[in-house]
Amino acid sequence: MAVEKEKLQWMYKNMLTIRNFEEKVAELFAAGKCYGFVHLYVGEEAVATGVCANLRKEDYITSTHRGHGHLISKGGDLKLMMAELFGRRTGYCKGKGGSMHIADVELGILGANGIVGGGFPIAVGAGFTAKYKGTDHVVACFFGDGASNQGTFHEALNMASIWKLPVIFVNENNLYGISLSQKKSMNVPDVAARAAAYNIPGLVVDGNDVLAVYEAVQEAVKRARSGEGPTLIECKTYRYRGHFEGDPTVYRSDEEVEEWRKKDPIPRFEATLSQMGIMTEEQMEKIRLEVSEMIEEAVKFAEESPWPSPEEVLEDVYA
Amino acid sequence: MTLVGIIANPASGKDIRRLVAHGSVFDNIEKVNIARRILLGLEATGVDKVLYMPDYFGIVPRALEHVRLKMSVEPLKMYCQGTQDDSTLAAKLLEKEGAKCLIVLGGDGTNRAVAKGSISVPFMPVSTGTNNIFPSMVEGTIAGMAAGYVAAGTVSAEEATYPTKRLDILIDGELRDLALVDAALYDDIFLGSKAIWDMSKVKELVLTQAKPSNIGLSSVGGMILQRHLAEDEGLHIILGSLEDSKEGFEVTAPVAPGLIKPVRVLEFNEISLGDEIGFDISPAVIALDGEREVEILPGRKASVRLSNNGPRVIDIERTMWLAVQNKGLIGRSK
Repeated sequence: MAVEKEKLQWMYKNMLTIRNFEEKVAELFAAGKCYGFVHLYVGEEAVATGVCANLRKEDYITSTHRGHGHLISKGGDLKLMMAELFGRRTGYCKGKGGSMHIADVELGILGANGIVGGGFPIAVGAGFTAKYKGTDHVVACFFGDGASNQGTFHEALNMASIWKLPVIFVNENNLYGISLSQKKSMNVPDVAARAAAYNIPGLVVDGNDVLAVYEAVQEAVKRARSGEGPTLIECKTYRYRGHFEGDPTVYRSDEEVEEWRKKDPIPRFEATLSQMGIMTEEQMEKIRLEVSEMIEEAVKFAEESPWPSPEEVLEDVYA
Repeated sequence: MTLVGIIANPASGKDIRRLVAHGSVFDNIEKVNIARRILLGLEATGVDKVLYMPDYFGIVPRALEHVRLKMSVEPLKMYCQGTQDDSTLAAKLLEKEGAKCLIVLGGDGTNRAVAKGSISVPFMPVSTGTNNIFPSMVEGTIAGMAAGYVAAGTVSAEEATYPTKRLDILIDGELRDLALVDAALYDDIFLGSKAIWDMSKVKELVLTQAKPSNIGLSSVGGMILQRHLAEDEGLHIILGSLEDSKEGFEVTAPVAPGLIKPVRVLEFNEISLGDEIGFDISPAVIALDGEREVEILPGRKASVRLSNNGPRVIDIERTMWLAVQNKGLIGRSK
């Protein structure tokens, strides 16, 4: 697995950006500064980072209700994202959509999605577009373990397989659909096993190891760009925070959370970078400071941005 | 009391080789079916008790759902992390409990993890992984019966089993890990998705087996040597670049399921027990039984030592013949 130093540094910075962004949102949400629901991605940073490190600007992603990490990894603007969470007019959806409706088509971000399993049809449509137009663009379709029990999952895999569409189905299996353990909602432990039903490759990777995710997706992207069709990659991971901010998480034990914290993707990657002589502690500290400043700037931008006016309330409303 | 241990790995058969080679997904439900037939085979041969490694899927508890057994089947009391360390810990505990045989459901990687925990209890390795040399594709019923005959003493472990070798992996002279079949020096600095398929990065191989009928890296040895390695022998191979090197010779070998690749062999040497092969590249990684497992950090010195301290493995056919001769087989009555 040859990875350029610059890409490794980007991966590190991106994972830190997601972590800091999400932790700041948690703090601001508790302080009543962010509106609507937020579902935070803390703990799952390696997945979005490892996937998007393989994508070009013109490639697409479809996201979920837990979308901030995906959007940041595909190049989403932190200031516009934060402003949206603050409900300000400068936000991605002019402050009227909130966390679960952020999109940036110019960057190939086809939207976060408030509907569980809602990204599948969009991903298949984008994949069909790429094939129909003869481009070599690919689509990364993020979804959770709960979404893999939705009908759209099965329809999407079936159609993508039949038409050999360039879609990489990225399952973020964090073990819980809201508060329901995967053990109680599925009689198979591996979402990847379902690929066999659609005659496409399905595999499991350590979703807390950014390099394992990167390498698996690299191969899936090669396959998709060369017209061989879709792949299902299940990334085993964990969210440290609740399903939503305010979730009391009574459905899981503190011991379980602690065990997963031992597998935290960021310290693991820091250790690899340091031991292999790729980055020094000083270089990592510099990036930490840069990221911290970026987040503070995004918050400042959001706080100083205007509110939407009452006259705008029906603008951009289509249904 | 006749006690048998079962270690079934729910994670085997699902890695990236489904994508980069042509490995098939080994469904856990099939592992349940195999485990059920193993349990039935064990009970038929007089085993009193089975202790099993608990796992997140519950392979053995699910296997019990459709059968009624007289023997006791209980989980080991252990905390499972969902990693290969579970198999290592389970093997240690089973040895301590006095298990007479360890039945292992998984691939080479699972058996390697079990061997890290115990080598003194005979293994009955049942293949459910990807690159499988150490375990065999066998019918669960027969695997259970053979393991049961050995555990119950109908056939002596000495007669029923054959010895295996292993490779000790040393970093700066300290034992770090082991392999049962092959250790490969891989020119990369990351463990990544673990499996290996890019043969241009495989610089050296140390093998305990060399058979052209093997799947995986040990097949390279088989293509070169054209004979079986003896019980006290291993093989060290140095590979070169297919593009840049004109030295040596080329062989083509099945290095992963459906992946038949040419490699350039610069040098090969038979090695003896106790011989230690030094790897001179760092940083790099070492793949053990087909998976990147050990990092060689900058400035560190890695080496591989051939040993005959592998687990003893039950020979199913020999065991079943001996059981017939010792009149232990069920169903033979007037």
